Amino acid sequence: MQSLYLLIPLGVLVVFGAIGALVWAVVSGQYDDLDEQARRLPDDEP
Amino acid sequence: MSDARNWAVYDRPDLRAAVASCAHGVCEVLIALDGMHCAGCAARAERLLAGAAQQVRVNLVARTVGFGFRPEQIRLSTLLQRLDQAGLQPRVLARQDGAQSAVTRRRLALARIGVATICAAQVMMLAWPSYFGVRPQPEIERLLRWAQWLIATPGVLWAGWPFFAGAAAALRVRMLNMDVPVALALAGTYAASVLHLLQGAGDLYFDTATMLVWFLSIGRHLEGRTRAYAIKHLRLLAGRRTLTAQRVRGGTLETVPLEALTVGDEVVVAPGDTLPADGALLGEAAELDESLLTGEAGPVLQRPSASLLAGSVNVGRAPLRLRVDHAGGDTRLAQITRLLDRAQTQKPRLQQFTDRIAGHFIAGVLAFAALGFALALRRGAGSAAAFDIALAVLVASCPCALSLAVPAALAAATSRLAASGLLVADATALQRLTGIDTVLFDKTGTLTRPHMRIARAGTFAALTLDACLEIAAALERGSRHPIAAAFAEITSARQATALDYTAGAGISGEIDGRRYWLGAVEPATGGLQLPVAAAVVAGQSTVVLSDAQDPLAWFALDNEPRPEARQVLGELSRRGLAIEILSGDAAGPVATLARRLGVGGYRARQTPQQKLERLQVQQRDGHRVLAVGDGVNDAPLLAAADVSAALPQGAALTQARADLLLLGDTLEALPQAIDVARRTRRRIRENLVWAAAYNLLVLPLALAGELAPWLAAAGMSLSSLLVVANALRVGDAGTPDPRHRRTPAPVIDMAGTR
Repeated sequence: MQSLYLLIPLGVLVVFGAIGALVWAVVSGQYDDLDEQARRLPDDEP
Repeated sequence: MSDARNWAVYDRPDLRAAVASCAHGVCEVLIALDGMHCAGCAARAERLLAGAAQQVRVNLVARTVGFGFRPEQIRLSTLLQRLDQAGLQPRVLARQDGAQSAVTRRRLALARIGVATICAAQVMMLAWPSYFGVRPQPEIERLLRWAQWLIATPGVLWAGWPFFAGAAAALRVRMLNMDVPVALALAGTYAASVLHLLQGAGDLYFDTATMLVWFLSIGRHLEGRTRAYAIKHLRLLAGRRTLTAQRVRGGTLETVPLEALTVGDEVVVAPGDTLPADGALLGEAAELDESLLTGEAGPVLQRPSASLLAGSVNVGRAPLRLRVDHAGGDTRLAQITRLLDRAQTQKPRLQQFTDRIAGHFIAGVLAFAALGFALALRRGAGSAAAFDIALAVLVASCPCALSLAVPAALAAATSRLAASGLLVADATALQRLTGIDTVLFDKTGTLTRPHMRIARAGTFAALTLDACLEIAAALERGSRHPIAAAFAEITSARQATALDYTAGAGISGEIDGRRYWLGAVEPATGGLQLPVAAAVVAGQSTVVLSDAQDPLAWFALDNEPRPEARQVLGELSRRGLAIEILSGDAAGPVATLARRLGVGGYRARQTPQQKLERLQVQQRDGHRVLAVGDGVNDAPLLAAADVSAALPQGAALTQARADLLLLGDTLEALPQAIDVARRTRRRIRENLVWAAAYNLLVLPLALAGELAPWLAAAGMSLSSLLVVANALRVGDAGTPDPRHRRTPAPVIDMAGTR
């Protein structure tokens, strides 16, 4: 049970990380158009 | 034509302000790329702009590209020229005020749903010991409680912010809306939880609060994206506005932005270009495509000094001159655009209705919560227990499932239909569609293809028919005239030079040193007797090809029936709908078409007025009528019908009035729309009955104090989930015919950006 003292705060930090990543992804417009990429040609150029 | 276009005009600060929204030295523009037909073109457009522009967003479906650029580093004209030279046919779209903030709003809404989802799930994870009555060690329990608070705080305060803002806005004008009990429940649960947390004892409702935010924001988002999607399409259709004009000043032409035009100016409109302002035609007669404004599909011949409308296209071969009578915001096009804008800001009727009943409903909810609190106190319960009961009532009677019942089903139905190429512009149309028992079809452009084809042709002996067709095709090559479309598919190695064009009469040109005419019957033939076969189809367009002396050939043009029309009409009648064709055409062609399509009822030579009267007679007889059409002739019919559907090449105005838009240029989606509408109605009824029954069932329990707040929230969530799952069945029930998937599926994405 001692490990919970570490794991619970760690879990909270992970959740905040996930929230931050999600907000960044959405606000930077990555979810604006979900169909577009599927219909594009592969971008082969380096 | 495009090389002559003066892109540099877009570098002028005044015009740049009309097309770009600038902030911090970066200007954002939206460019339509009419020439972007393939995925490869999209990649090319991106490469052309790479380096010079930032945040390039290519949209293949809408054929647009948006990007930001720094005016002091690169000129917009340079970028436009690059796109133009690559054959992408750039067209600068006017700036849409607030478009950028709308995008930001949508993104924020989606981010809030995501945050609410994460928070709700994680808070429940941390709260599970209390669900099962497990009592961990006191230190661990305290840790779990504080962790819940940490995670629930962004979930309630940030993700749920719109509810607080909405409630505050409503209360400021002394109104009650759905947001008020929600905000009250959120504030109550959160505040009580924080209090209990600080006291170190008592229940926490962080899970309840986060779940409330989660479910309610999803419901709200589902509602909004359907409308955003429809409006975006309407805008694109009506967005063909020109931004510059060629003004005559001191004998020379100068390119000026629209804003610079004033009444009395003289402007020149090149062939294929759009009229920049309303005004009087100077000089010779001209042919115009006014379909954007009037829906009249064919070209309209305008005599000198006739008044022309901004937004019409010069389809003749000669430039026309125009004296400006109304410019800028006074033009009819601008007025129409404003109407569209207003439609965009209006709430859908369903929402208005919900808001209206919400006032009473919510007053009831608040009263019940207060009643529960008072009853509990009188029973001798402590104020903490009384608060629990009030919360349970507030949560139990929360109209979550009720508020999701209709929008979730409508969203599922509209995105299902959008995938088969049918756009629902007015969500209430789906409800009205279920009662339809009669369908009125327009003929030309609706049951037939909009473009003309050569129905019959014959020669007057001097040349072979193939040679005549090649000559005609060479003469019409490059023309935007509707008649030219009939000849567009004929390949011809011949080159026509010295083209001369007379509005309304036809076209002439030299091929291999000889002069030919192609035009309507009278001027070209000068009293020529047409052969019998040509006379049969007279009443439709017949054109004659002649050389300097003699007529060479005649071509009778008509519109061929859509290939899917027969099957679609069959499917509609199998669904118990009566079908009738109303056409402005002569009896002969209409009867032929009706026979070919297997339709008994038809009326020919109908004026728009007669069509409308026919509709009204049917409605008086108690029929519910769906009208399908395009073109201005149908606009009154479409407006008066119980439900209206329009095909995309019809005028933007007609479509703005239509409830359903058939985007795939095919009627195939119509029978499906009826099915989906009927299914949707069933789902909505089930949902409403379930949600109402649930609320009625738990409310007394909550009032009696038999329902813990967490149980009320769990039940509410389960009820909402059931409603959503039931609504989603609209989308997948009945596997669609694979043919219906032929059109690229414009599936609505979660961000609702299209």
